[in-house]
Formats: sequence, structure tokens, C-alpha cells
Amino acid sequence: MRGMRRYIEDLLGSRRPRPFHAEADDDTMLRAAINLRAARPGSDVPNDEFVAGLEERLTNELAPAPTVEASRRPSRRQFVQAASVAATAAALGAGVDHVVSDGSNSPSNADQMLIPNDGQWRTVTASADLAEGGVQPFDLGTVVGFLTRTHGQVRAVSGVCTHLGCRLALEAATRRLDCPCHNAAFALTGQVVEHQLRVAPRPLPHLLAREVDGAVQVFGPAASTS
Amino acid sequence: MPGRWASRRTHGEDAGAPCAESAALPPAKLHVVGRDSYANWEAIYRDNVERIYRLMYAKVGNRPDAEDLTAEVFITALRPLRVSASVGEVRSYLLATARTTLASHWRRTLGREVTTLDTDTDQVEQVLTEGPENPTALTRVQGILAGLPDRYRRILELRFLGSCSLKEAAAELGVSVANAKVLQHRALRLAAERGL
Repeated sequence: MRGMRRYIEDLLGSRRPRPFHAEADDDTMLRAAINLRAARPGSDVPNDEFVAGLEERLTNELAPAPTVEASRRPSRRQFVQAASVAATAAALGAGVDHVVSDGSNSPSNADQMLIPNDGQWRTVTASADLAEGGVQPFDLGTVVGFLTRTHGQVRAVSGVCTHLGCRLALEAATRRLDCPCHNAAFALTGQVVEHQLRVAPRPLPHLLAREVDGAVQVFGPAASTS
Repeated sequence: MPGRWASRRTHGEDAGAPCAESAALPPAKLHVVGRDSYANWEAIYRDNVERIYRLMYAKVGNRPDAEDLTAEVFITALRPLRVSASVGEVRSYLLATARTTLASHWRRTLGREVTTLDTDTDQVEQVLTEGPENPTALTRVQGILAGLPDRYRRILELRFLGSCSLKEAAAELGVSVANAKVLQHRALRLAAERGL
């Protein structure tokens, strides 16, 4: 009963309703509450910002995979990059026949999305611990990265340098992610801020992030059972 | 007066209404599909994002969940989609994806399928073909509300269709906050029993 009341108050407050274990006879009341809320004229028009943001996210995910580097040389270099570029390339490359693209094969500098094939949503911190403008490192064992919150929206970037795979360190004062190996630096958005290499490293891949029930979750590889 | 919520928006004058919503209604967007297939995935997205969002909104009743589910549908569906597929094929594929996405959302959050997306019912077509004023859903809801005892109807209108807080609704009805809470619960239960 308490869970349902809270769920309905969340609906009324236009917040994300918090999950609870619903009983059989909760269904009809929850459905009635949803139908009432959805009947408000104009309530179901998507927000322009959301529509544009999702298109951008899809662009990043459907961008042609950086397959050249990863598939031509299955070397140590690919291995050390496993947490970033290579993982993304494998995820995208595996389904390359199915990738819907705009037909252009030019290498894209667009952000990459790291989406594990058999990923799962994993809680990395509490929503309350990630304030507006805040930064939090996270570590899923096989994938590490940083969470940020901007305009209320939570985002996650990989914490591994796209050059040779060193782990990035957060420079809190300048809000940069510095590579300890070759002086590359990335913004918290994943863009390269500074580097001394002949060819600029790729931007950091993003991970899917969301908030559920007061927790921040990242879509990462399944937790290892060993 | 069950018609008041429908007419408020169109008259654009809410001075005397309790807990009036200030947000203006965005202009309706029209999608015209003149071809048999889409030019690229961006065209698929732009033509369908609003349809999928509105379907999801009708099934979850809140923006954050509707946004997440819409994103999930496109992220899942776009990769395996062939751009050469016909508009009809693309739309049925998106709908099928939306149905399974919604089902897994309910399994994950409440453990029960509170709402389902039956892709072959009239309701889907109705949500998709009507403009964002969704008059059919509103008329249906108002029909059920009109049959409720007066105070039950009022509290549901104030809280669910308007944007009154519990405190504001209690003041409007001249009862205590605790009474308003009980009233709302009973009203919602009765409305649910009557098929809302």
C-alpha cells in the first residue's frame, strides 16, 4: 500500500515513480492513476530537448565503427585498449551488417558509445551523492569511468585514455581527465583538450547512464561471478 | 462540470482556476509521409519519435519513464533495421519493440504488467492519429469521472488533471490534508473499479 501511494505521488509530482513490489490488486488503481495523468491535454508531447538529445545519442551510437585499428592488428595494443576503443569497435563491428548508416564510410570523430553485448544496468552511486556539476569516479571492475551531472542529466564517460589505455586521473581544479602517460587531457564530456601526439587521440567513449530509485546506474558488462 | 479541463487550454485564460498550469501547449507537429520508405535512419527517427513517445506516455503517465522507454526503443530497434524497409514495416517493427520494452519495464519496476501495448487494438491507432490534445482519452476519463460522487470527482480533477498539491486540493475542498489523502485514495479506487 505504501509503495503504491508513493508511486502515485511521484506520478502526480511528475517525478520518476519509484519501483516497489506490486500486489495483484494494485494493478487497477495504478492503471487508473496512469490513465488520469495521461489524459491531460498536451501532457504527452515530447520535450524538444529530449528529441534533439536522443537523436544526437543515436548518431553517436550508429556512427561507423573504428574497425580498421581494431581488426587489422589483433595486438597487444588492442588488448590494452580493451576498455575503450576496442570494446566499442567490437560491439559495433559484430553487428556491422546490420548497422544502419547514412552510407558514408569516412572515419568519424563523433563520440563513441560503449555498449556491452551482454550488458546490464549496474548501480554505481546514489543520486544524492552526485550533485549538479559534480563528478564521481566509478569502477565496474572491467570498465572504469567518471559520472557527471549537468542540467540534472547524468552522463558517464570511460576513464581510460584512448591513446594507449592508461587510466585517467581527475584533475578536480580544472575539471579535466589527465592521462599520466603521455600528457593527453580530456574534458569531462570526453573531448580531447590537450595532447602531444602526432595524431589526436579519439574522444572518450560514453556509457549509458540513468537514475532509478535514487541510484545512478551505468550500463556496463555483467558483473563477473568469479 | 466535467468539460472544464478540456476547455481551459483552448481559452487560454486560467485566472480563476485553481492550481492553473502555466506551461503553454506546444504547437502540434504534423508528419507527412509521402514515400514508401525512409531516406535514412534520421528520417525514421524524426518521423516516429513523437509517435513512440506518446504511446509510451499513455502507458506510464510520466515524462522521465516515457523518455527512457522511447530512448530504449530506438536504441534497440535502429541497429537491426534496414533503411530500405517500407514505412509500414518500420512502424510495425518499432511498435513490436515498444511492446516488449514496456513489458520489461514493468517486470523490472513493479513485477507486474500494469499496462500493455496491444499493437493491434484501436487504442494504439487512436493515440497515433489524434493530435496531442488527445480528446478521446480525455472524453473517456471525463465520462467515468462524471459518474463519481461529486467530492470524489473533484479531488481527482484537482490532483490528477490539474496540478494541485494535496494541500491546495484540501483547501479547495475545505477539508484537512489527511482527509484529502483518504478521499483521493477512495476516489481513485472507485474510479478504477468503474474501469478507468
